Amino acid sequence: MSVAVAQYAALSRRSLVTTIRQPRAFIPPILFPLMFMALSSAAFDRTTQLPGFPPSDSFLQFLICTTIVQGALFASIAAGSDMAHDIEEGFFDRLIASPVARTSILAGRVMGSFVFGFFQAWFYFGVAALFGLTVEGGFLGMLGVTIVAAMFAAGIASIASAFAIRTGSSEAVLGAFPLLFSLMFISGLFFPRTLMDGWFKTAATINPLSHMVEGMRAQVITGLDVSEWLSAVVIAAGFFVVGLTLASLALRRRLSVSS
Amino acid sequence: MQGTDGHVVAEGLVRRFGTIEAVAGIDLVIAPGEIFGFLGPNGAGKSTTVRMLTTLLRPTAGRAWVAGYDIVEQSDAVRRSIGVALQDAAIDPLMTGRELLALQAVLHGIPRSASHDRGQVLLEMVGLTGAADRRVGTYSGGMARRLDLALSLIHEPQVLFLDEPTTGLDPNSRFAMWEELRKLNRERGTTVFLTTQYMEEADELTGRVAIIDDGRIVAQGTPAELKAKVGLPTLQVTMGHGQDAIGAESILMRFGEPVPAPPGAAAVRLEGGASGVAAVVRALDEGKVLLEGLELHLPTLDDVFQEATGRRLEGAEPVTAEPEGQPQR
Repeated sequence: MSVAVAQYAALSRRSLVTTIRQPRAFIPPILFPLMFMALSSAAFDRTTQLPGFPPSDSFLQFLICTTIVQGALFASIAAGSDMAHDIEEGFFDRLIASPVARTSILAGRVMGSFVFGFFQAWFYFGVAALFGLTVEGGFLGMLGVTIVAAMFAAGIASIASAFAIRTGSSEAVLGAFPLLFSLMFISGLFFPRTLMDGWFKTAATINPLSHMVEGMRAQVITGLDVSEWLSAVVIAAGFFVVGLTLASLALRRRLSVSS
Repeated sequence: MQGTDGHVVAEGLVRRFGTIEAVAGIDLVIAPGEIFGFLGPNGAGKSTTVRMLTTLLRPTAGRAWVAGYDIVEQSDAVRRSIGVALQDAAIDPLMTGRELLALQAVLHGIPRSASHDRGQVLLEMVGLTGAADRRVGTYSGGMARRLDLALSLIHEPQVLFLDEPTTGLDPNSRFAMWEELRKLNRERGTTVFLTTQYMEEADELTGRVAIIDDGRIVAQGTPAELKAKVGLPTLQVTMGHGQDAIGAESILMRFGEPVPAPPGAAAVRLEGGASGVAAVVRALDEGKVLLEGLELHLPTLDDVFQEATGRRLEGAEPVTAEPEGQPQR
């Protein structure tokens, strides 16, 4: 194993280990989407009968990908805030005072979110299965969804890291949260776009998140659909590319100012 | 290239933050194997200098070389040659000591097979073998600093930079840390650059010291040289009840220039140095002066600081008057 890969792996591991060792910090962001899933599947189950609603067995089947995306989003913002914490606490200085490859500082954090996002998505599938979820795309469909979730988690983690590196403040990262939250609301995440109207529908259609979740959802409610999956992958990759670019720029700026 | 191996050389090093000049032109030459102290109050520019020398901060002007490498042009080579323990021990409280050592080893590109043994040796060295598998969050301040020291040594650096390694430690932990550093310096020849706001630490631990104030070095030399420059030791005698201070003063005057003393006491600046105390005592005895007390004040680095800046060193601890070279334990 080359030195760079070992550093990359060690920093990813640290990012995961420190997340898991803070149950107070990582359990609520996992549970909140689950609670939301439980409440809305109970409340809105009959909406699946509405004309224009995508053909779903249950609201749970419609909603599971929302839960997965929501969970990935929450966890990845926390990853960004951890990065800011590293800067505040001086761990970041320890890293840059060592001959570690500059890219692995960022890549370690983002990779940690990728792995976390992947397993978190499987966890949500597992919980939903207990409540009768059926996935039309089967195991491959679920695998497809969890891969998109992991990519999306890595993307959001890099966006949050960009904020963290730029500001060096965990409060600033958490302050950006409402922005991402609104992005989630003005989308097809919680309700199908086919039932929307007016400016909201326009906004939701512009929002790439809508298309990503619909691409994931197709695997659950209609069955394996490679082209839908690819469109979700492309969007998740887009978040990742944008985030990584922003974060790399922020990192370069911070290193040039400081070093 | 300036210097090699364990050298630290700085020429006109400056760092400005906006209009504030935190470091205003520092020149240094530290030889391999030295323990060099940077003494100064908070905000004097100590940490900024260390951050520049450890490549964490780019200098606004001037140049510096660490272990023979330019800190700006060859920053990667500098980072491979140095160990760094910064002021607020930046240690992840959620990880265990052993995990952090393993991580630090990976960051320095040390293969896993070697890093395990190396980590074990370092844990033993800093006395943390028993606590190695506990999370750092449960460590005391002294333990955290010791772990930080071990972390900074994982790659056997030529030069070790320690920013206030004992600030906030209790005296026992401080002495233990000094002992570690002396041993490290003695056994491996590691050059140690440390900053401190404790005169006692500079005095006890360092071979040479630079006093920094307001971003400038105001005095530099061995602690003994610096103190010798400030002046001679002062001897103050307190007379017993009913004793005539004037008689004592006339005897003391034979040994040096009198200096002001509280009522009932007389003091003199000993021209012959501290070794002249015995002669003074004999003369007083012959002059039938009954003494109640006798105090010898050696010049301290604080006096050096005051001489150079006109102020006392803030946050400084009292230094008990003991002859140079004798540990105060």
